[in-house]
Amino acid sequence: MHNKEKETKQSVTTIFSNVIYFIRLMFSISPLFVVTDLIWGVIQFLPPRLISVLGMKRVIDIVESGERLERIWGAVIVIAVVLGVSHLLSWLYREFYWNIAREKLSMGLSEKLYSKARSLDLSQYDDPEYYNSFILTIETSADNIQNLLNLVRNYVSSLISFFTIGTVLATIDPLCLVIILAVVLTFLPLSRKVGALQMGRRKDNAALHRRSDYFQRIFYLQEYTKEVRMHGIRPLLVDRYNDAAQAVVDNQRKYWKKIAFFGGVQDFGIQTLGFLFLLLLYLGYCVLVKKSLSAGDFVASFNGAYQIAMSVNFLTVWALSVFSERGKMIEKYREFLSTRPKLKDGADTAPCAEPETIEIKDLSFTYPGNDEATLRDINLTIKPYEKIALVGYNGAGKTTLTNLLLRLYDPTEGSITIGGQDIRDVTRPSHIDRFAAVFQDFQTYACTIGENVAMDKAPDAGRVLQSLEKTTFRKPLPDGVNTELLREFSDSGVMLSGGESQKMAVARAFYKNCPYAILDEPSANLDPIAEYELNRAMLEGAAHKTVIFISHRLSTTVGADRIYVMENGRIVESGTHAELMEQNGTYAYMFRLQAKKYAEGSEEEADEETDA
Amino acid sequence: MRYIKLHEETKVPIFRNVVYAFRLVWKADWRLPVTSLLEEFCNSFLGLFVRNILFLKTLLTVIDSNGDFRQYVRYLLWFLLVSGLLQLGQWYGSYANRASVKLVLQRLNNKLFQKACTLDVSCYEDPEFYDKYQRATTVLSDGYFHLLCIDLAVIIGDFVSFLLVVATVISINPVYLLFMVPAMLVFAVETKKSRAVYRRDFAMTTNNRVKAYIKRTMFLRDYAKDMRTSNIFLVLLQRFETATRANLVILKEYGLPLFLYSTLSSLLSEFIPIVGTYAFAGYQFIQGAMTISGFSVVLTAINSVNGATWALAECFDEISQMALFFSNLRDFFEYEPQITDGELEAGKFESLEFRDVSFTYPGAEQPSLSHVSFTLHRGETLAIVGVNGAGKSTLVKLMMRFYDPTAGEILYNGRSLKDYRLESLRGVFAAVFQDYRNFAVSVNENVMCRDCNEDDKQRARRAIVQSGAWEKISSFEKQGDTVLTREFEEDGAGLSGGENQKVSTARLFAREFEIAVLDEPSSALDPVAEAQMYNHLMEATQNKTVVYISHRLSSAASSDRILVLDGGKVAESGDHRSLLQEGGIYAAMFRKQAAAYRTGKEVASDA
Repeated sequence: MHNKEKETKQSVTTIFSNVIYFIRLMFSISPLFVVTDLIWGVIQFLPPRLISVLGMKRVIDIVESGERLERIWGAVIVIAVVLGVSHLLSWLYREFYWNIAREKLSMGLSEKLYSKARSLDLSQYDDPEYYNSFILTIETSADNIQNLLNLVRNYVSSLISFFTIGTVLATIDPLCLVIILAVVLTFLPLSRKVGALQMGRRKDNAALHRRSDYFQRIFYLQEYTKEVRMHGIRPLLVDRYNDAAQAVVDNQRKYWKKIAFFGGVQDFGIQTLGFLFLLLLYLGYCVLVKKSLSAGDFVASFNGAYQIAMSVNFLTVWALSVFSERGKMIEKYREFLSTRPKLKDGADTAPCAEPETIEIKDLSFTYPGNDEATLRDINLTIKPYEKIALVGYNGAGKTTLTNLLLRLYDPTEGSITIGGQDIRDVTRPSHIDRFAAVFQDFQTYACTIGENVAMDKAPDAGRVLQSLEKTTFRKPLPDGVNTELLREFSDSGVMLSGGESQKMAVARAFYKNCPYAILDEPSANLDPIAEYELNRAMLEGAAHKTVIFISHRLSTTVGADRIYVMENGRIVESGTHAELMEQNGTYAYMFRLQAKKYAEGSEEEADEETDA
Repeated sequence: MRYIKLHEETKVPIFRNVVYAFRLVWKADWRLPVTSLLEEFCNSFLGLFVRNILFLKTLLTVIDSNGDFRQYVRYLLWFLLVSGLLQLGQWYGSYANRASVKLVLQRLNNKLFQKACTLDVSCYEDPEFYDKYQRATTVLSDGYFHLLCIDLAVIIGDFVSFLLVVATVISINPVYLLFMVPAMLVFAVETKKSRAVYRRDFAMTTNNRVKAYIKRTMFLRDYAKDMRTSNIFLVLLQRFETATRANLVILKEYGLPLFLYSTLSSLLSEFIPIVGTYAFAGYQFIQGAMTISGFSVVLTAINSVNGATWALAECFDEISQMALFFSNLRDFFEYEPQITDGELEAGKFESLEFRDVSFTYPGAEQPSLSHVSFTLHRGETLAIVGVNGAGKSTLVKLMMRFYDPTAGEILYNGRSLKDYRLESLRGVFAAVFQDYRNFAVSVNENVMCRDCNEDDKQRARRAIVQSGAWEKISSFEKQGDTVLTREFEEDGAGLSGGENQKVSTARLFAREFEIAVLDEPSSALDPVAEAQMYNHLMEATQNKTVVYISHRLSSAASSDRILVLDGGKVAESGDHRSLLQEGGIYAAMFRKQAAAYRTGKEVASDA
């Protein structure tokens, strides 16, 4: 119990520090917006509230004093001016400045987050905990986080109203304020209880919802349609959904019983018992028995107390729970924005000219969080202009090796040098610049095909088309290189089939002017003719580059200058196709397995040829 | 940059859709609307009328008439009771409400799942329908039904309170109503304003879609490598900025009209009523025709009237916006699938005949298949080969009746596919898809596609062994009971592409079927695993009818018949040998693919 108390107390300071961090973050993007936004809140809310307390009191006092009733007109004019000016100002601000500035603020914030995301190490994406709790959370909340500013604004303006009206009440009768504060302080601790319950409920719900949302998604999404229709798995999935959904319902019942009770007691205590009974009892006593207060004082106190009662609820229960919930979100931003990449930039600029020798020395690599090394004691030398093939089973470490070459990760042990220089000694952008990389899980972007091939702004149309041609890409392009791909947001966007997108991806390697190319499974989605043509084109088109390619189809590896066979993170065989066949090891086994069917075919073909 | 306008402002009948939605929610759980009404009614009745008007008026009357303090206290005690009761109602409503919300979600989701499974696959591929469908689903997950119930409850509660407030004002002096009438007009202004906001937001839809897409690419793992190894980041950032700038233009355009609406509405709802009341009351005070209690109550009444009209305007606005979503849901529930059930049970397989079948995807110009005819007999192995986009997968989709042919007919045992019950027809096929999916349930359940008893687990295990995934699966502590993916299970298993494919292929080994359809089942596998898988598949499908789709011709060679598709037409048909003799497309493809291996073989035999 004691511990718990401490924990909540601590969290109030963290909530505060998080909110301050948030305001500073927004301030750093647009100082003007933050400042004017807060002022706007005050202009918008304070005048009407003050009028309902002070304006009324003034008029009633004039009437009660019974002399010079004409002074009422003066009060009416002041009220009209204050009200009119505050409305006009706040709408001018809101409709001509705020809407626009907010969109700009949103852009500024997004760009800050995007740049940060890009600067992170790939290993941070591999870490499921970091990925889920930071990157994905920020992705889903980036559009809404700035709405927190609305909350802050409302909070600040409510706080100012609270103090202003409190002061007014204190001048009428200090005891009024004492009663108000006593009531609030008596029942306020309940809000902590409610806050803690809400937090628990949300936490439990989030975990339970993850499960029900998943099963729900299966029915919502396109990619599962075929499986759900063909395998009769529907009842199982529906059952699972219902189990998860029922758990959510039960959880709601469990928590809301308590939340509604404590919340109800608090509401009753502050609003009904405190303000509607105790305070009015005292006011009535002052007016009717003690005759120390006027009717004007009574009305002003009644209205003022009511407003304070409303804002107490907002300032404590509501805002605290929302702030603490959002505070956690802010904390994620805080941590995300302060994450520093572990890969350090070198000082030199890597040359992007003719290929040089790539040397990998005693290299081992273990993915962060893994026990087993993915690569062990890799040693290999790639001479300029060589065409290197990496082959091996799934999970042998081929893709990982190329990831290290691109310096998406740093080796756990050993080093990679290019032209004698450790790749850690050069800047990462200049290092990346000398590689063209086509990944196994390449992506197509909802941009123009030109941009998709160049992977850069302002693509050179001629070279884009040339590169596509080399890959035998044949899809007609209605707008040439400016043809938009995907239907993401352009209904006329061109959809590429699996094979065509793969060719488009390979074209990236042709387009980029650089000495080295890495091609991961460049022909997996292609039909035999396209594969054959692509292989030939690759070897021809990349004649002036060092090429490292990974392939399952060993037919592609035959023409390689050197083949490295990987198994369990080690290089187990290396040599030319002929040498490896002679060694009669893993490679030869794999090759024969694949070639068998074709061998039978070619015999028959041979028969046919002799027949003819 | 050009952005395409989606469509002009859509008009949906609000009342009809709201009634429809209300019926749905009432049937799902009537307690939701009832408890919402209880909660909101107590809330607004207490806040708008009882506390601010009734209490104040009563107490001020006592004070005004110099009444005695005991009378005053008696009133206070009554108020304590009334207010307490109303809060109790509010408390109970909010408690009962929150569980009911989730129950409604669950029940409606069940209804939705059922409907979703009868939807034609083509619906999912039609962007417009899919878009609608996605929006229909957000109706459920974003709590629109709860919002609807609350809004309706607020409308009722506020309206009743509103009438009572107006009655009180009339009892003081009907003239004051004059100043409150403008406050009621706010309703019309706010409706106009919200329409303008809606139009503005609608104009920004496409830009916001661009922004959302780019955000996705910036954060998701799938794109992370490209972001780091190329300048696509800059391309996307540029688009992001362009979309934002386009939004700014739209926002600026709407600045003036929104300012006018907003100011007008402030004028009507606050300025005129408040200043007018003060002025008229001042006049009456001077005339000696006004009491302090009357004055205070009228001024407070302005707040209540204001509060009520604003809330009403907001509710109506929300409801009219929701109507669009509800109409999406309604369209979805009322959608009649094109692929309808027949009556026959699909019995033992004898033959499947494509008779002059042509097919064009909805919205496409070019047919994907034209005049395809062939017959598949019991026990045959049929390989369908062809370059990408030749129509191989489409052919399979027609076979399983994901689509119906545009022209021609497909016959199962001599009767049109349309004559059979869908579920029974699809049960005939055991399919392994190119874009296979596994689910976040246990490995066994993924294989058996149902809750597994011990017997099922044994069968699942055998199937997993056959598909070649047992080595991996058995390495998990819970073996076949391990849940796939770490979606929500801490100890869930993440499988590699190849292993996932093996698990989904195991489904085929685990069940009875008439025809096996294998759509590139080995694309994610390495050569050795591919060969093993192939052998197991051949074993499992021995004496069975098999349709095999692949662009790896090695597997086609041993089929009874090979169908070569080219541009949606059957270009060649025959067995491996006869096709090679024909010297057509197949022969060319085969030679090219074999060529590389042949050089290898020569090298090998040279050695």
